[in-house]
Amino acid sequence: MDYTLEELEEMKEILLIAIPKEISARDFYLNASKKFKTQESIQLFLSLAEQEKGHEASLRKILAEIEENIKKIKNK
Amino acid sequence: MKLDELAQYNGQNGQKAYIAYKGKIYDVTDSKRWKNGLHMARHKAGEDLTDFLALAPHTDEVLKSFEVVGTLDVEESKSTKKEKLINFYQKFHPHPVLIHYPLGLFFFAALMEALFLLTSLKSFDDSAIYAFSVATLMSIPAILAGLLSWWINYDKKTTKIFKNKIRFSILLFFIGVLTIFIRITHPDMLANHNSLYLLYNLLIFANLPVVLFIAYEGGKITWPS
Repeated sequence: MDYTLEELEEMKEILLIAIPKEISARDFYLNASKKFKTQESIQLFLSLAEQEKGHEASLRKILAEIEENIKKIKNK
Repeated sequence: MKLDELAQYNGQNGQKAYIAYKGKIYDVTDSKRWKNGLHMARHKAGEDLTDFLALAPHTDEVLKSFEVVGTLDVEESKSTKKEKLINFYQKFHPHPVLIHYPLGLFFFAALMEALFLLTSLKSFDDSAIYAFSVATLMSIPAILAGLLSWWINYDKKTTKIFKNKIRFSILLFFIGVLTIFIRITHPDMLANHNSLYLLYNLLIFANLPVVLFIAYEGGKITWPS
């Protein structure tokens, strides 16, 4: 799909803002996991933390692609 | 095997398709779900997919059917170091802590100056310029903490919000220094009511929309909608 430069810049901004929030959420769940003693509770929060890590990795991947597209448009 | 070596096994042009997961490297070349090194039109071979598996509709059990062909040399990457810095920053969050002082003091200075204009009591103008000076001074650590946050959390990437915050922070500081300079070098203007006096007052009040705009842009980062 062809995006305009403005759309790509907007998408870049959204992703940039979202990434630290994923990191923060992961940290939050990791700290939460330390508050419990039962394996079930610990695993629950560790699993949520891993999902946040996955979100962050996905966002970073998409961000890199968007930045690549912005570069291409600017170099045209 | 290092990450850049792994990248060569991307499953394209007859190359083998390798993926890494939790330090182990798996050969997925013969998998039906990894055609031409691409999985679900999303994940590419030649990459470390550790972080992505938590989002997959399957568990890591599926990897048991693939041959382990090596191990990934995991050294502390730049992103891991950055993550530690982000966690450190988010623990102490210096920028949100520091911005409230100049924000409040610029408003207090404007209030005092407004009272001076209404009553002509010089003590109000004294209060205004003291508060304004401290606000300008406090804007330095606030701006520096903002730049630190921009570097740590956002890799110094430029987008509309960050450009606005930087431009208007420079303007805020410039107005601050200019106002203090005028007041110190021309203390007699308060009695003369000349054009410099008008400019001085204008600048004290002009910093309010500037500081509000910077705060508004910051709010868009903290509470995006």
